[in-house]
Amino acid sequence: MAVTGGKGGTGKSFVATNLAVLLAEYYSLVLADLDVEAPNDHILLGAGLSEEEPVDIMFPFIDYSKCIKCRACSNVCDTGAMLTSREGLPYIIPRLCSGCKSCYFVCPTRAIYMGRRIIGKTFKTNVNFNGSSFTLVTGMLNEGEEHTPPVVLRAKRRALSLDADLYLVDTSAGTSNTVATAMDKSMLVIAVTEPTPLGLHDLDLILHVADSMDIPEKWVVINKSGIGPEEKHQEIAEKHNAEIVARIPYSKDVIDSYVKGTPIAVANPHSEISSIFRQLAEMVREVIG
Amino acid sequence: MLEIAVASGKGGVGKSTIASSIAIVLARKGVDLVVVDADADAPNLHLIFGIEEWHIEEPYGEAMVAEIIQEKCTRCGRCMEECPYGAIDLVNGQYVINKILCEGCLTCTLVCPVKGAIVRHKLVSGYIRETPTQYGFPLISARLEPGRPNTGKIVSEEKERARAKAKQDSVIVVDSAAGIGCQVVSSLAGANMSILVVEPTPASFSDLKRVYVLTRHFMQPAALVINKYDINEDFLPQIKSFASDNNLEILGMIPYDENLPISMAHMKPMIEMFPDSPASKELVKIAEKVYDIVVNWRKWYIEHRPKQPMPYKPQIIRPEDFKQQ
Repeated sequence: MAVTGGKGGTGKSFVATNLAVLLAEYYSLVLADLDVEAPNDHILLGAGLSEEEPVDIMFPFIDYSKCIKCRACSNVCDTGAMLTSREGLPYIIPRLCSGCKSCYFVCPTRAIYMGRRIIGKTFKTNVNFNGSSFTLVTGMLNEGEEHTPPVVLRAKRRALSLDADLYLVDTSAGTSNTVATAMDKSMLVIAVTEPTPLGLHDLDLILHVADSMDIPEKWVVINKSGIGPEEKHQEIAEKHNAEIVARIPYSKDVIDSYVKGTPIAVANPHSEISSIFRQLAEMVREVIG
Repeated sequence: MLEIAVASGKGGVGKSTIASSIAIVLARKGVDLVVVDADADAPNLHLIFGIEEWHIEEPYGEAMVAEIIQEKCTRCGRCMEECPYGAIDLVNGQYVINKILCEGCLTCTLVCPVKGAIVRHKLVSGYIRETPTQYGFPLISARLEPGRPNTGKIVSEEKERARAKAKQDSVIVVDSAAGIGCQVVSSLAGANMSILVVEPTPASFSDLKRVYVLTRHFMQPAALVINKYDINEDFLPQIKSFASDNNLEILGMIPYDENLPISMAHMKPMIEMFPDSPASKELVKIAEKVYDIVVNWRKWYIEHRPKQPMPYKPQIIRPEDFKQQ
């Protein structure tokens, strides 16, 4: 299952970490933080990051003694990373290279060799609360790098390589294929939104992405409920055949738990918001079994 | 011409509210402006300005997407092995390209042993929109088709258009996306300064430090705005010491304000709808500081530019070392 939302700051990680803590009581669970540009689940869970592994992608090296200056490599380069001099000698702008290997395969003289470039890292961390535990896998893009999908994919594969009953994915903001890669093959997507036109606008976009990916079950959680009108959110949810399953009121308790690195479901189990999360976890259990 | 990028790393901390306030106040003071919404993934700035229609809306970009012709496919599976994006699935014995994950590179077509078994189609990747606003400046916005590759190219194109519209003494305000990826890199590239927005939470602070590294890659001076400063005042000393260690001027500290979502619901800027609320007063004060920076640019730049270069260094492993691993 995946937690997403479109707009930034609506509470994706807040919902994902609280659900993870509650669902870990029933399932062997892996939480995958695939917001690789701004990963924060470990901070919300008060956990350090451990078991670092680099994320590397292919990086082309050129043997100029074999190069026949045919420009085939730069012609197939989709990102503009492979340029050629006036004479036809290729050179590479590392930052733009996505590591797709097209240049390697197209080169007629095998003048391109595969090196690697490290663009990010993944982590695997054990998280424990009240006797139940789960594994957090975190993807992190290195500062200055631009290609997020390979990092998302690697972190996702690392999460899926672990034996578990339930994989819970926390996506980044936005609606691009980075988010789609994170949501891919989910049975259930929870879109977290807020009662503002901005939240509404992006909810429409993200549900559109979920529609085109044929995600069977789509839920909407309205966070910071009460700060603005919510009628149109209902219309948008219906348009995409999604169900509004929870409304979380804005509360100072949330900020306290958010800041202290302990999910509210653990820090303040008797609060109204914790009981909303418990109901939501129950609904997830009903769907997943 | 002066270009100011507003960024934060973390989403939802107030970039668009702050960028829109700066734009309106600069315009009130007679500065010639162009405003760019550089969050092409989830563009929202027009909603703050109450814009419902675009004067210009043009398709942008020709993204490619691959398709496997099943009649010609020999089921060798080479494409799935080599696809760098995990975009090829084996469904009921057939290799199928997931159109949402495909980035349109040529790798699968090149490794496929059968001529013509994989073809590529053109797709529109997004739209660039333009409109005048009631505040006197034009807004340039982009919208990527949902689920298409995230690309900094569309942001670079928006900024090119803004620069073409700008006059010698104009200011361009760029409201960047969340994160630190390609759209944010394109938002910051070529800007004269960044305004970084943070809220006093450990998550936002962590993301701030990451986006700050990008401003250093570009050798760019940056200033800081602390939004919702009063939701967690215990955390402020950490942010303030980070700011002073890195020579980031704190332009202001905005209190949490319940009026903000009301102004959003009315699609009106906060400083226009609730000019007397504490948050609006601080937003205007911040924008006035930005005006002072613009007017005294040389002086401010010299005082705040990073002293040490901190260039981006790709981490590359040579083929011979890679083979040994």
